[in-house]
Amino acid sequence: MNMKPADSTENKMLEISEPAEGLGRKSFLKLLGAAAVTGWIGSAFGSEKKKAPQGEWEKVGDGKKRKWGMAIDLDLCSGCGSCVVACHVENNVPFTGDDPKKDGTEINWMTLLPLRQEGEGQLTPLPCMHCENPPCVKVCPVNATFQTEEGIVDQIWDRCIGCRYCENACPYSRRYFNWAEPEWPETYKQALNPDVATRPGGVVEKCTFCVHRIRDLKEKVRAEDREITDDDVRLLPACAQSCPAEAIIFGDLNDEDSLVSRLSDSPRANRLLEHVGTKPKVFYLAKEKPIGLDRKES
Amino acid sequence: MLITKEENANQEFRGIGKIGPAWIFTMLCLFAVFAFGVFGYSRQVVIGETVTGMRTIGVGGAVWGLYIVFVVFFIGVSFAGISISALIRLFGISYLKPLARMAELLTIIALSLGACCILADLGRPLQGLMNLPRYARVMSPFFGTFTLVISGYLFASVVYFYLSGRADAATLAARTNSKLLRLFYKLWAFGFKGTPDDYNRHSNSSFWLSIFILPLLITAHSTLGFIFGIQSSRPGWYSALQAPGFVIMAAISGTGFIIIIAYAVRKLLHLQEEITHKSFKWLGILMMILTVIYMYFMIVEELTAHYAAPEAELEVAHQVTRGAFAGLFWTTVACLAMAFLILFIQYIKGKTILGLHVLAGVLVNIAAVFKRFIIVVPSQTHGTLLPYRHGSYVPTWVEISVVLGLVAGGSMAYLVFVKIFPIVPLKSGGHDDGPLGVDLKESRFSHMRRLTAFGLTLLIGVSVAVIGFLLSARIGTKAYLDPIVPFSPVIFITGVMTSFISAIVYEIVPVSKK
Repeated sequence: MNMKPADSTENKMLEISEPAEGLGRKSFLKLLGAAAVTGWIGSAFGSEKKKAPQGEWEKVGDGKKRKWGMAIDLDLCSGCGSCVVACHVENNVPFTGDDPKKDGTEINWMTLLPLRQEGEGQLTPLPCMHCENPPCVKVCPVNATFQTEEGIVDQIWDRCIGCRYCENACPYSRRYFNWAEPEWPETYKQALNPDVATRPGGVVEKCTFCVHRIRDLKEKVRAEDREITDDDVRLLPACAQSCPAEAIIFGDLNDEDSLVSRLSDSPRANRLLEHVGTKPKVFYLAKEKPIGLDRKES
Repeated sequence: MLITKEENANQEFRGIGKIGPAWIFTMLCLFAVFAFGVFGYSRQVVIGETVTGMRTIGVGGAVWGLYIVFVVFFIGVSFAGISISALIRLFGISYLKPLARMAELLTIIALSLGACCILADLGRPLQGLMNLPRYARVMSPFFGTFTLVISGYLFASVVYFYLSGRADAATLAARTNSKLLRLFYKLWAFGFKGTPDDYNRHSNSSFWLSIFILPLLITAHSTLGFIFGIQSSRPGWYSALQAPGFVIMAAISGTGFIIIIAYAVRKLLHLQEEITHKSFKWLGILMMILTVIYMYFMIVEELTAHYAAPEAELEVAHQVTRGAFAGLFWTTVACLAMAFLILFIQYIKGKTILGLHVLAGVLVNIAAVFKRFIIVVPSQTHGTLLPYRHGSYVPTWVEISVVLGLVAGGSMAYLVFVKIFPIVPLKSGGHDDGPLGVDLKESRFSHMRRLTAFGLTLLIGVSVAVIGFLLSARIGTKAYLDPIVPFSPVIFITGVMTSFISAIVYEIVPVSKK
């Protein structure tokens, strides 16, 4: 599914500029011009919501104020890496292969990093932190990356110009640039996920908290005429779904009863690089504090 | 021959139209370099940016490399031109006057090269050209680079350049034999008759332009520093010293460049009488003072980074002073120190040896490139806050050829201009030598008409700029949103440009006797 934002300007202009019957050519042109101008200005001062660069899925929202977040229990995590693989497959992340010329161009929306270096090594899964105060969004010159109303730091692939400023701004280095046009093995191409747009070469990409699955879920519950429950979303993203230890939990941080918000209040809960002030929405649970993790300030 | 032989022999026309074998040979060499740069860039377009030395941060590389280093360098070099012109006008430094036009041309060409270098860096340059005007956000430091530097500052320089060249264009239009060139000169002069009124008007407009350009200049170079200075995620970048440091370094390398060009022009066009030792002495003292300021900045910077810095800051600082970048760093220090000593000793002895001045100019420009490299790269390869593995960055032949190609392209533009317009203002066109034509007394009505046209253009320009800014900035709403009207950054830029056009309007509204 394409996640380009609906361009309300163009739609509006198309609607208005339908020629009325019995109009002369001149007056029609005049009307067209006037319509274009009013459409342009009108769209500008239209409702705030319309202009925000949000994905199609926002339109099927149910009016609830959500804040999606994630909790990763490092005491449960065995570092098996299934989340990395699942994410790769789910989100059509391109492969770089064995070519040594392409070293350093690989893309991993979810990666494993040894955060606890003393004693036994602890590989820590690192998705995008979906910060509440995201530095990458601040620096984007064209608003290609933005925060949805539900707190997800999303990206309009097609608008990105590839300046890579966001990569430099991210303290967690969770953004990846497509150094060349993406490639997949021929057999793999038939297994690409139709729900996620592939990205062209020259744009930056990142974890989206599987935003397409949230959109699908919203459509599903609307059809079933019910509300989204915590059980629906607890293992919604591909990484959470694939984790054999159920160490990754997803959910609504604004819902006090959700598992993820209860876990985020746990005394074991930490956030990465709290001192940078980004307020990440991914919580790490660990009895012993790994390097780089700070106690949650309350 | 475009100009009659006798006149050219008198050096009055600075060798315009005199195309010798040396010039053609130089142009051919430059074109070869330029063509190779185009070839290099074509590889990048076809294969992708994997052909560059840049790689993802944390996976072993830096996402910004030589291109960004040279974006900063080119925009830095541009500093000298228009600032020297403005200083000449504001403080009446007459012995720098012969350098004004070559400096202004350097500004214009260097800024254009900077813009090209940004495009070379972008992953999708065409989308960049489309989306920057459409969606540019005021919140991003790139907005400053994109609007203030490329549009405002470049356009203001072009306006200044155009207006200060009118007198010479009028002189040349009257003398040249070529029809095409006459048209070009006439268009440039656009009604400049050489009356005292004409000169007075130019004097007024250049004064006010200078006053507006100087703050714009400081702002523009500061926004470039802010691109790095406000990133708390990159140790080594996050510093309030970045913006002033960028301004000073820009001034140093720009002044160095002007010394080199002035020396070359003086030698090649035999202008020993006009470009005197005094001009070089003045530039040398300016550069000496700026170099001291910058070395002070560097000491403060390194002291802060080494004393009790956070872990990641310290790591980057160590890499710079004794790690992977130590060679570059100490070369920078040596170049700056040597340039300073060369200038300082000459200053103490009261002598001005041009060769040594040129050497100092070359040294500071090497330092400028290396220092920018040290600013841009180590914070990415060694400055991750999480324990990612360290990376390395070495530019590939593609990046080097593109940058050299740009330099060659700029030099070609410079050399072509030198052959169609006097790079050093003509003596006969100068105000000091008296007006060219008859005195046309401007009537009261004509004067009022001029002021009205000027005022209206300025008013429209400023209001359009303010409206454009408000539409783009969305003050009072949530910051992470598109501009209120698509393409409103263009409205802002148009406003800024129109404001500067008002200076042209002021000068070219025709005089009527009624």
